[in-house]
Amino acid sequence: MRRLAYLIKEALTNIRLNRTTTLIAVATTAFTLACFGVFLLLYVNLRGMVGSLQDDIKVIVYLHDNLAQQSILEIQHRIKAEPEVASLAYVSKEQAMADFRTQFPAESHLLQGLGENPLPASFVVTLVPRFRSSDAVKRWSDRLRSVPEVAQVQYSRDWIENLAVVVVYLELVAVAVGAILSAASVTIIANTIRLTLYARREEIEIMKLIGATGAFIKIPYLLEGTVLGALGATLALIILKAGFEFFKQQLGQPGRFLGIESGFTFFSNQVSLLIVLAGLSLGFVGSFVSLLGYGRVKV
Amino acid sequence: MIQLFHVTKYYDRRPALFDINLQIDKGEFVLLMGPSGAGKTTLLKLLFCAEQPDEGQILVQQRNVARIRPWEVPYLRRRMGFVFQDFRLLPKKTVFENVALPLLVQGVSSFDARRKVMEVLKAAGIDHKKESRPPLLSAGEQQRVCIARAIVNGPFVLLADEPTGNMDPDLSSEIIELFKTINARGTTVVVATHNRQVVEQVNRRVVTLAQGRLASDDRPASDERVGQ
Ligand SMILES: Nc1ncnc2c1ncn2[C@@H]1O[C@H](COP(=O)(O)OP(=O)(O)OP(=O)(O)O)[C@@H](O)[C@H]1O
Ligand SMILES: [Mg+2]
Repeated sequence: MRRLAYLIKEALTNIRLNRTTTLIAVATTAFTLACFGVFLLLYVNLRGMVGSLQDDIKVIVYLHDNLAQQSILEIQHRIKAEPEVASLAYVSKEQAMADFRTQFPAESHLLQGLGENPLPASFVVTLVPRFRSSDAVKRWSDRLRSVPEVAQVQYSRDWIENLAVVVVYLELVAVAVGAILSAASVTIIANTIRLTLYARREEIEIMKLIGATGAFIKIPYLLEGTVLGALGATLALIILKAGFEFFKQQLGQPGRFLGIESGFTFFSNQVSLLIVLAGLSLGFVGSFVSLLGYGRVKV
Repeated sequence: MIQLFHVTKYYDRRPALFDINLQIDKGEFVLLMGPSGAGKTTLLKLLFCAEQPDEGQILVQQRNVARIRPWEVPYLRRRMGFVFQDFRLLPKKTVFENVALPLLVQGVSSFDARRKVMEVLKAAGIDHKKESRPPLLSAGEQQRVCIARAIVNGPFVLLADEPTGNMDPDLSSEIIELFKTINARGTTVVVATHNRQVVEQVNRRVVTLAQGRLASDDRPASDERVGQ
């Protein structure tokens, strides 16, 4: 117990005595982690966007004109029975015309000249979440196209596929950037600890001479690195949050962006905590690295 | 209690110690003499496991330390005391904290440590300076702190390398008296020195090294332990 108190006190003393180096280490770590955080934030938001787009995904099944009411009902039953289908709504030719008029009041005269209602009847199908991936949607709609009564099947495929590809790429970039910047943070902290070790080498030597174990000598430095990492990550989160709020203000009110209802979101509390934990671990690894080979007993 | 068998230690292929055979018994006071470069410090370092011999065996309390593993060294050192010529005190800690450190690293309770530290500070005659920091103390006072720290664990042996190094005769004599008192209480003492004055004052066993070899091992006729 008393030993633990001593070790913590030593770590805090180290941090206090090397205020400048500590400050620089925390700042650089924070900057490094913040760079990674920007990527992560972009990734998280884009993925959320793709997610909500996929939630939004609706397949519109257009029917041939002049189908009997009976066969429309039959098809409706058949489609509804498919395991991929969550729900479906029938839009009659008249309904389609009415929708068009309300959505584009200025252009409604275009249709008037045609006399007969040119808009087809359709089913608007919502798929069960399991089948909302672009692959599954494509497979299902291809199958539906072979039904004779179906004129056309449409969904916003390309759009979602492109975005999904972007997300995958971003994921790769985030992993690569994350790995590089993590290595940078570890190096920064390792160097800071190495400086402390160097500054205190005589003291460390004395500790060895009076019978302190390697662990006892190393623990304050491990603590120091861990604290540096956690502080760096916390500072990074603060920088990110400030930048994020600024960005959001510049963009104005949250609203429809690229066709989806979405305000940008910051990291959830859990993710923020994870980031601090990541910084803490990086700090620990950094000091661990700098302490490698420091256990050798030599006077 | 301490035995060396054919111990040889090379530095850069030159033997600093060569084929040393030596036995030191419990309660002895041994002076290690010899000109500069004779290997006195090297011998003490071997006993303290700061170096390992290239040949031969070293038994310390029946334990062969010639091939000791690094992680075992701290536990051995806790049973030994070492006084350095350059004191090796922590400048930013008080005298009290410096002397308490060997107990702290072993996890001795605060209460026991306090009692023990006060006891050795008194024995070393430096208890009135317990709140000072080492850089403000005189060489003699620093040496007393160093001795107090070396005996705070109640070691079975106290090793000292030139403890009177650059002290005037009066101060040197005081420090040697302190070693004699510690020895009289039962602790084995080994002191490396090339100070002739010390030999006369102690008047006990003198082991002389010359160019890494054991040159002589003399016990005065009056050494009561030989007579017994
Ligand atoms: N770390 C080292 N590396 C290389 N050579 C060393 C080392 N330590 C000691 N030596 C050599 O070993 C020999 C014995 O040195 P040692 O320090 O044991 O002598 P000493 O008797 O203590 O001398 P002094 O009275 O000057 O302290 C010397 O020739 C010295 O140069
Ligand atoms: Mg020497």
